[in-house]
Amino acid sequence: MSGPWSRRLLPYILVSPLVVFIGALSFVPTVDTTVEAFFRVMPLDPPTRFTGLGNFRDLFDNSSVLTSWVNTAVYVVVGVVLSVVFGTAIAMALKRRFRFRGVFLALVILPWALPAVVEAVIWNWIYNPTFGVMNNALHSLHLIGSYHVWLGLERWLTILLIEIVQVWQITPLSALIILAALQSVPPDLYEAARVDGAGAMQVFRRISLPLIRPAIAVAAVEALVLSLNIFDQVYILNGIAPLGSSVMLQTYVTTFQNLNFGGGYALSLLMTLATAVLSMATLALLYRRSQAVT
Amino acid sequence: MKNLRITGRRIVPLTISVALVMLSAACGSSSNSSAGSTSSKSITVAVAYPSPPKALLAEFTKQTGIKVNWVNIGWDDLQTKIAAAMTAKTYFADATDVDWSKVGEYEKTGWFYPLNTWFSPSALSSDMPQVDTFVSDNKLMGVPFDSSFLVTTVNTKDFSKAGISTIPTTLAGFSAALKTVGTANGMANPLDIHLATAEGLSTCWYQMTAAFGGSVLSATDSPEFTSPSSPGYQAMNWMVNAYKSGLVAKGNINEADYTGFTTEMAKNRVAAELCDYSGSVASIYNVPASSSVVNQTEYVPTPGATGAGFNVANPDGIGIPKTAKNVPGAVAFIKWFTNTENQAIWAGLKGPSDVVSTFPLPARLSSFALLTKAGDIAQASELAAILRAHAKAPFPNGAPSWYVQFSSAVQTNIHEAAAGQETVQQAVSAIATTVQQLKSAG
Repeated sequence: MSGPWSRRLLPYILVSPLVVFIGALSFVPTVDTTVEAFFRVMPLDPPTRFTGLGNFRDLFDNSSVLTSWVNTAVYVVVGVVLSVVFGTAIAMALKRRFRFRGVFLALVILPWALPAVVEAVIWNWIYNPTFGVMNNALHSLHLIGSYHVWLGLERWLTILLIEIVQVWQITPLSALIILAALQSVPPDLYEAARVDGAGAMQVFRRISLPLIRPAIAVAAVEALVLSLNIFDQVYILNGIAPLGSSVMLQTYVTTFQNLNFGGGYALSLLMTLATAVLSMATLALLYRRSQAVT
Repeated sequence: MKNLRITGRRIVPLTISVALVMLSAACGSSSNSSAGSTSSKSITVAVAYPSPPKALLAEFTKQTGIKVNWVNIGWDDLQTKIAAAMTAKTYFADATDVDWSKVGEYEKTGWFYPLNTWFSPSALSSDMPQVDTFVSDNKLMGVPFDSSFLVTTVNTKDFSKAGISTIPTTLAGFSAALKTVGTANGMANPLDIHLATAEGLSTCWYQMTAAFGGSVLSATDSPEFTSPSSPGYQAMNWMVNAYKSGLVAKGNINEADYTGFTTEMAKNRVAAELCDYSGSVASIYNVPASSSVVNQTEYVPTPGATGAGFNVANPDGIGIPKTAKNVPGAVAFIKWFTNTENQAIWAGLKGPSDVVSTFPLPARLSSFALLTKAGDIAQASELAAILRAHAKAPFPNGAPSWYVQFSSAVQTNIHEAAAGQETVQQAVSAIATTVQQLKSAG
């Protein structure tokens, strides 16, 4: 093998095992799902047969599925906005070195380190209408007159409270991504701004924010993907009730409860497309803005 | 250059070897994707119960030479696992749960072996009254390994405090009594009904429908609950009104069955359970470590529209999936697990150290006889009488193959009716429409 050729081929050779592995584990199932979405696959109604857009039509005729799309949109908006805002605030607070900074950083990361199911179970006890901490605390502070049923009765309240649990989990990731970007901002810029008499808000708006916008874009996309795919928190806190259902939950119900695998494939495909389109749109929007500023 | 050529010659075969190892690991892990045995000297049992004591499993191994790998999975997750594994035709267990509600489905999908070769329903029925629940199209899809049925449980101490010594046998009388009990004991909501969108809500509706003297589906699986005077309609109306009137706590809208038993009844936050599981008294309420109502609860005849009503049977069975690797071993295990003495042992014949935790009641009347004789189970003879005469299958024609979609519609709509998101009439109509769609889809 000649020198220049081997140098050119070497990266591809080294990467190829991983590409083959990931390809087998994700590409093949993705293709399979895409194809099967156009077939009626139901163990209770064999044989498997081509149905064209039949699965998709059935999904859009299903009120629970339509409700879940609206709910998921709300989960995404709330999740992205809150996790990015709180993540930025936490990153700003942790930017400077202070005593016990490491301990605070570990505490911030803790919700992200716990499995989503564990967190949902914890928050289920917090929200419990009979003996939950939330009712207890709010009642003790005289903010509510009597114990309230937080989940399952009012749609938007249920969705908000479920998303708070997810925001609690995903905000640390946003904070870390943004913190890493903040720490790469040259300190000279801050010094120069201070010399020029800029206040804290001006420094943040004119220096930090434009330079960390790409990191915010990444954090937003992470939050978007996680919020779009919300399942654990919804299932633990709300069961399969349509009130707070998400698209992923409906995919589970369609596939494993109703044994409608074709419908499940179709929903999964739609979710994949939605995730791809929204992620690219978010990145394009935020990157374009960051490039315009710089 | 020379070094690079040598390096290149080494890297390519090395890379190929790594790729092959990774691929074979992936293929290997997918063919052995589940924890379980592949040997003819062992079986994997996947059920929603904790394992019997290891010493007793060791006895089975000693008798048969077969080692048991016990996998305890929550009921809902187990159903998902069965559906996923059987659709993918992958092995996950040699013996697993066959719920009464899945019998029609499993018969139609062909996921489980009919057990008629090894077990005769007609021979078993005199000792196992609920075995017919597991027969679909003359095929025995599972052998009952408990005799769960829905019962009414009351806290007799709370009722006594309210001056009520005889529990009413009509729903009207029972409701009035509950209000008196609530006042006397300072309970704002003296009744527990679990209203979360879960299977427990569906079975509770079937139970209440039986209490009103009917069934939700006819012998031809047609809806029998659409008329406001029908037992099913009245039952749903009663449940929703019990919630809205405050007889049942508002928080129950998201409460599942076992949560209600363990946090409400066992902690004396309520005085009665209308859709309790047989065996709760011994396995939950009389357990000092987790109950505040030890020796205070009793099973009572289920209040009905005009007198004591029927009890709906919801037993669990055990069957052999078609992907099992050790069918003879699974058969031997089923025979051992469901024999008279062991069924009584799981329920407490030899004391608390040998019980199967949360095991409701034995599937065999002969096991009940052993327990009654030993005096080990609260109200064993009463429970045996219920099992023999009052526990009936929820559907005259057995659980239809589309049961799971039907149950999903039931629990969702009753939940929404209770939460005020729709009326009882709307809920009934939605469920009836689902039944018609499922029936016409075959």
